[in-house]
Amino acid sequence: MELPPLSTAQLEQLAASNLPPSQLFEILSRYESDACLMVADSGHPDASGGDPQLLSLFYSSFFFAHLLTNQVPEARALTQRMPETLRHQDPSLQNCLTLLRAVWQTQHAQVYETLRNLPWPEPLYPLVRRYESFFQDRTLIAVSTSYEAIRPAVAAAYLGLDSQAAEKGDQSIIQKFTDCGWTWSPESQLLHPVPITVPSTEEQPSTGIRDAMAMLGSRAS
Amino acid sequence: MAAIPALVTASTKLHNTTGLTDESHDCQIRDHVAYCRNLLSTKALSSISRDESVLDPHDRTLIQDGILSSISFFSVCKSKPSRKRPMEHCLGIYYPRGRLWSKAVRYLETFNPVQIRYAGQEFRQLIEYPLLATRPIREAILRLDPSCAVFTSTHLLFVQLCLRAKAYACALPVLDKHVCHFPAPSSRASSKSSLALCAKHESGLSFITDSSALSATLTYKDYLLYFLYGGMIYMALKEWRKAFHFLGVVISMPTVGSISMVMVEAYKKWVLVGLLANGKLSSPPNNTPSHLVKLYQSIAKPYVSLAQAFERGEMQTLVAEVDAARDIWIMDRNMGLVSQVVNTFSAHALVRLRKTFAALTVAEVLEQVPHLPADPIATESVIAPLIMSGAMNATLVHSPSHTSDTMLRLSGKPFFSQVSHESHMQVRFRKEGQLMTALMGSLEETNRAMALSDEFVDASSKGQAWTTASEVNQGVGDDFGLDMDEDIMGG
Repeated sequence: MELPPLSTAQLEQLAASNLPPSQLFEILSRYESDACLMVADSGHPDASGGDPQLLSLFYSSFFFAHLLTNQVPEARALTQRMPETLRHQDPSLQNCLTLLRAVWQTQHAQVYETLRNLPWPEPLYPLVRRYESFFQDRTLIAVSTSYEAIRPAVAAAYLGLDSQAAEKGDQSIIQKFTDCGWTWSPESQLLHPVPITVPSTEEQPSTGIRDAMAMLGSRAS
Repeated sequence: MAAIPALVTASTKLHNTTGLTDESHDCQIRDHVAYCRNLLSTKALSSISRDESVLDPHDRTLIQDGILSSISFFSVCKSKPSRKRPMEHCLGIYYPRGRLWSKAVRYLETFNPVQIRYAGQEFRQLIEYPLLATRPIREAILRLDPSCAVFTSTHLLFVQLCLRAKAYACALPVLDKHVCHFPAPSSRASSKSSLALCAKHESGLSFITDSSALSATLTYKDYLLYFLYGGMIYMALKEWRKAFHFLGVVISMPTVGSISMVMVEAYKKWVLVGLLANGKLSSPPNNTPSHLVKLYQSIAKPYVSLAQAFERGEMQTLVAEVDAARDIWIMDRNMGLVSQVVNTFSAHALVRLRKTFAALTVAEVLEQVPHLPADPIATESVIAPLIMSGAMNATLVHSPSHTSDTMLRLSGKPFFSQVSHESHMQVRFRKEGQLMTALMGSLEETNRAMALSDEFVDASSKGQAWTTASEVNQGVGDDFGLDMDEDIMGG
């Protein structure tokens, strides 16, 4: 499939599109060699040749595509592949590095803080919002399977909600959790999560574990 | 330039294969290869080989002709430097900014995977051109043989480039496929299958042979390096189990006599990756000869001592071992791995609690694992990510009162989590099933190849000879016995 040339307009369109993360990643990865060529045009691999704004938008978008496909170590490798000068000087890429550190260290509060309060370039907003939602959903699923009972303030902190309001029993926050099937115990002031199961995208309808065991049995025979 | 229409006409004939048997098509392609090679080597038409428009992507006929475009491409590539075209220019056009860069990339994404089997030499020289990037090479490898089951020199080149470019994930579509064969000797390939190169082959083993030149001559070191580099790529992606497997392949390689430095290097990394993956000093793969294990352990003694300290759960000893051999880790370029081992010490100590306890409070956890943060809230923030990532099979239970401790339950996940676990297991089983099917296919291929190989036939005939000889000897022995008896009787 032929792709249009790498341009700011093309990147804006991709960021605003609702493409599945894997497709977005695939398209942006095909643009990486074009970005490398632009850098190389400057004559020095560490210099930010070509159009620094375009390169910044490309690398930032590609970075978010990595996070949206849950490729955190590869996102780190991407930051090492970026032109060094651009990485050190560009505010958007500096924000990406801050975000990467927070995600790497699973510092939930810092992740939300970075996504919400740091100045991101406008064309990148759709991807920033998309990742925030993605991170929240993933965290909600992880908390639901890791806690049998959890204080509302802690649950709210995990999801980037107002912890103080949650501690005071803010009903709107409690309701966000009960809407997910969790139960709220007013006596103990604890939320009881119901584990959220997410079918794998590769999963096909099946009659259960018996099918898998039958498959294994046929392999053995 | 009038020759170009002639080339196009010849190429068009090649595409018209209706009603042709594979054998006829095969002959036609071979003739065409000879024609193209001859045409492009003649002095009169050497201008074509220097004319980059032959590779014009808009000329679909030429581009789709795998042979012609491969040979043309290589002819353009190997055009010699001259006063008008100095070496810098000749090389420069293949650099990413060069005029041929985009044509080369496009070519690698669109070549005809059947016809290219006839132009292996040109294909390989093009793909091994060191300036092309990882992604086009990956596409070309997968296009040539989607199963990737036959190991070629391009595999090694590709993982080297990925490692150097820090494009780790790019290597996964190739690394995740199992290498099952080496290119077969041409005699074996021709004897085992009468299929023409252009016919439909079940496996790449039939057409990636010694004589196809799709791979350079391979040595055992190439094979070792592929798995070492593959393991390093998985390490960079923190896929410790896959890295462990790849390095295990290197260290269990059969050797005669001396041990390769690549294997020693792999063993050092294997020990550290084993700690990160399993939290213990693992036993080498079963097929590792015992004398090799002893050699490894004596050469990589600091690594073994570090692993033993880790396994015993002695943090102070571990830190002392790290400090004592710091120069060695740095010299071996394993300092990063060693740091990660130290960082995961507490995590593995937490995971090990499951062997002893069913549940305990965070304060009790602190007593058992003393190197965690003293504050229970901070300790919980260490434990929770481990559970969330799936590294630790446990749950946390907050108490109603802020003053009471959080409970860590290690007795398994509740029912709903198990349902989720089951659905993930189904997906894994299905994947494993597909993998097993592919492996079984490769095994059958290997069995067939071995049964028909010259070596096997030689060995079989030798075996028969031995059997006959032993039968004869047995007879002779019996005769000797009789003779002796007779002598004794006679004596």
